[in-house]
Amino acid sequence: MQTEFDVVIIGSGAGGSPIAYTLAKAGKSVLILEKGPLFRPQYQNPQGLSDFKRDELFADGPEKRIRIPGVANFNEAFYSSHVEPDINDEPHIYRDPNGQDRATIEGYTAQVVGGGTQLYGGVSLRFTPTDLRLQSFNAGRNDLKNDPNGDVQREARDWPVSYDELEPYYVKAEYLVGLNGTVDNQLKPFSKDSYQPPLEPNPISNYAKAGMDKLGEQLGAGKPIKPYRTPLAVITRDHEPSGRKVPKDPETLKTSYVNRFGCPLGVKSSTWVSLLSPIASLPNFEIRTNCVVTHLESEGSKVSRVVYRDPSGKTRFVQGKLVIVACSAIESIRLLKLSAQLSSEFNKRINQNDLLGKYFLTHCFGGASALMPTRSDKTLALDADWATDACATDDFLKSRGLWAGGAVYNNTSDQALPISLGRTHGSRDLDTLWKGFIEDTSLAAQGLTDFLDNNIGRGLSVSFMANQVPLKTNRIELHPTIQDKWGRPVAHIIKQWHSHDRYLMDTLAEMCGQILKLGGNTIPGEFKFEFQGQGGVYLAENALARIANHILGGARFGNDRNDSVLDRNCKAWDFDNLYVTDGSFMPTSGGANPTLTIQANSFRVADELLKRL
Amino acid sequence: MAIEILQTDDQYVLNHCTKFLARDNKDPRHNFGQLSNDDPRSRIAENWRFPIIDSYSDGKDFVKSYSSNVVTFVYQQPGATPPTDVAVIGTFANLYEPIPLKPVNFVGEPTGYYALSIVVPKAQFHTYKFIVNGQAIIDPINPQRTQLDNGQLWSRFFTQLCTEPLNFEDWEFDIVTRLVDHILPFRTKEGENFLNRYYNFLGKQDKQVQYAYAYRLDESVGAANFIDNILAREENHHLIDYKICLGQINQILRKRNPYVEPKNVSKELYIDLYNEMATNQVNGWNYQQYQEPRFFLQLLRRHTFSGAFSHPKYGGNVGGTGWAYLSERYRDQNGKTLFDWRRAIEAPLGLNSDYRG
Ligand SMILES: Cc1cc2nc3c(=O)[nH]c(=O)nc-3n(C[C@H](O)[C@H](O)[C@H](O)COP(=O)(O)OP(=O)(O)OC[C@H]3O[C@@H](n4cnc5c(N)ncnc54)[C@H](O)[C@@H]3O)c2cc1C
Repeated sequence: MQTEFDVVIIGSGAGGSPIAYTLAKAGKSVLILEKGPLFRPQYQNPQGLSDFKRDELFADGPEKRIRIPGVANFNEAFYSSHVEPDINDEPHIYRDPNGQDRATIEGYTAQVVGGGTQLYGGVSLRFTPTDLRLQSFNAGRNDLKNDPNGDVQREARDWPVSYDELEPYYVKAEYLVGLNGTVDNQLKPFSKDSYQPPLEPNPISNYAKAGMDKLGEQLGAGKPIKPYRTPLAVITRDHEPSGRKVPKDPETLKTSYVNRFGCPLGVKSSTWVSLLSPIASLPNFEIRTNCVVTHLESEGSKVSRVVYRDPSGKTRFVQGKLVIVACSAIESIRLLKLSAQLSSEFNKRINQNDLLGKYFLTHCFGGASALMPTRSDKTLALDADWATDACATDDFLKSRGLWAGGAVYNNTSDQALPISLGRTHGSRDLDTLWKGFIEDTSLAAQGLTDFLDNNIGRGLSVSFMANQVPLKTNRIELHPTIQDKWGRPVAHIIKQWHSHDRYLMDTLAEMCGQILKLGGNTIPGEFKFEFQGQGGVYLAENALARIANHILGGARFGNDRNDSVLDRNCKAWDFDNLYVTDGSFMPTSGGANPTLTIQANSFRVADELLKRL
Repeated sequence: MAIEILQTDDQYVLNHCTKFLARDNKDPRHNFGQLSNDDPRSRIAENWRFPIIDSYSDGKDFVKSYSSNVVTFVYQQPGATPPTDVAVIGTFANLYEPIPLKPVNFVGEPTGYYALSIVVPKAQFHTYKFIVNGQAIIDPINPQRTQLDNGQLWSRFFTQLCTEPLNFEDWEFDIVTRLVDHILPFRTKEGENFLNRYYNFLGKQDKQVQYAYAYRLDESVGAANFIDNILAREENHHLIDYKICLGQINQILRKRNPYVEPKNVSKELYIDLYNEMATNQVNGWNYQQYQEPRFFLQLLRRHTFSGAFSHPKYGGNVGGTGWAYLSERYRDQNGKTLFDWRRAIEAPLGLNSDYRG
């Protein structure tokens, strides 16, 4: 078994795969160690069947119960998907408002080759230039709302790379990953349009478009800001770089088994089908799956060994000239902290300024939902049809006293299928699935019929995704007592929402509500428009854990070694060969879904690594 | 009886067993009441997944393939010494013919896992044992076990679309079915109309292919069967809730109407019972034996809804009836469905020719 490589990459998701792709193509020997299984779409499987299914129970899992000694939610029910860890084995623990520890499934993306990109909704927006320079943008402002202690100005950071520097890598990622969408009406600068054409939007999205049009007129003052087709990581045409093919009539790709489902046809652009499959047969590339890295060892400023458990649990190790950690933010920080716990030398280097784990970020997110006046077939959809940049312009931010803006888009396939409708009815987060449905005992017989009549094909939601104020107290630690199935301390999420976060969420939720109201009230129809509500995630039952699978920060990059964990190329300051390239590098969380930016940055880092090898 | 052995690769086996079986922690964290804490299986996550039951394809005829499953047995060597031989015997083949499991390797080195994949028709129920170093043992991982008439314990598995009663006695089935009836929309007037139309007018071919496994079609689209299945495996920890509560409901209904069997009492009696359970105040309930009738109702509601609308392979939603109900009910002005489930789902259940299930 080979044990020495030019590059060892831990994690095959958004942060790890672009590096594997670039370096393996350049002839370097590359090993990926991936904790999860390799689930192949049907065209790659010897039996001709996919390991992913269009099957709600397969994707969502049966009820299990929390049996972790000492947690406040002991014995409560939980549901994890087939590619998430069982939280009894590997919980994330968060501290609730009463200071008690609770186990949660929040904060995991997916543990499978491709990581979170196997399950994601594929919304692939770029960050705006302002997102990358929030310190400069906010410097000297005195109009910020709900920031009594001036935290925004003290804590906001510019990224060490500018939008212009990142832009070519956005282009590269968009082309190689495979997206559909439209560039027109996006306010971010594009040097190239690599999108494939989008499919026809679902008719229910017309309301969102009408609402976004109207909101764009109101906010654009003389220069309307128009919606555009949401860039989605789903191919709609044969995709040359990855060799993937679509059916003759690409419209048949539309299904509601997209967000939270692995794609059996491989048309959703997971990093496995788009970036790793094309290099899979190279002799200088290897991926070892079902292998969990337990810690790193160092000698001086070099990571000398990567220690992992093979699929049977046996301890093994490998060496890499360069070692890339890309386990997704929480698990990467945990891995580094575990390594530091085992070695004072490692600790001294990774914790040279005690920032590792601090400034953990998620997104301010939320939205609004309504039952629309006409019914559509929501089972024929991808995930999101329309998006608008209206809530991300500098004018908008200044007029509302906001420190940063956000992306707004509609969701099309949510609650399209009966089980997803049932399990998410009245629940706001992954820890309370089914709760609303089972407690609402009026949903039986005629009551259940009415529920289905009201909801099937009528629900429309508009979401926003925005920056969270970085706070040093928001952090990932190792839990002092709770251990995973290997006896290692698990990740402890300690986080709160800043008052400005809450204000920002209320403001953007109001915009989403406006979109639905403006759109919903325009078109008369068979049913009445029924607004259901709006809000931000800070209102959820487990608001302190709630992270929308967007886990970022905690090992931020920067130009100042006293203020960051990584340098501008994502190298740990006091190591020669240790890089971290998942979402944890972000100093601010960006006003859009993060994956495309993680991928673009990894392509950028990969070019830097090439210079070193 | 010839049994078809399938050459699955080691990656396939590791993909389906590592997450569950590789571990050090000895806490009984996976015991939710279905095992005792000192049972080694209480340490294994989702041990109900073993043996692994998966879709099958012969690579040619997907309609024909639909009627079989791939069943993969996994044996995990305890300790450091590899067994000299591991085999399986079971009712799916000749009982006197042990079929060897093969060692599973990782990058050319042994893992201590042994596996065998075979093709088994859907809708079947089998018992088996491993033969390890010449000794017959029950599967140390699989929680499903059956006591045969001779008192011997055997391991058990069932393939998809199984309709053989696994847990419930007939009278229990009857009560579950009546409760399920009340929850689902198929016993409203329109619901009943739909069911009659749907079942009566099924084409002959549909009946043969899609509905070959139909079980008590008129009984709430098979949701009771789904519940029996899920209690045998994934949610075995809730079997005890059903056993206790169905017993109580049986007694209460007999008291309320001593002249009619619980399965035949009026709809109103079930509705009353449902409403009482919803408020946790059930006249005649033995709260010492089971504190929260409402909890049982919540469980039953989740199971019922899942059974009626999940993929039919789980034993409910027979032939996609639950989905077809939605598909018929929600239509546009031109009569075109607004719940086109068939488009995304594999043939022969659905119409999708790209996705194979
Ligand atoms: C349901 C869902 C919907 C989402 N929708 C969107 C969306 O629409 N748009 C968007 O931009 N983002 C979305 N996301 C988020 C997106 O998935 C993540 O932002 C992205 O995958 C993060 O990339 P990463 O490299 O940080 O981690 P990941 O992609 O999660 O990769 C981390 C990998 O590391 C592996 N790993 C972890 N620990 C170890 C270890 N110790 N040893 C070896 N391997 C390890 C994991 O198994 C995993 O494969 C969604 C996520 C989910 C779950």
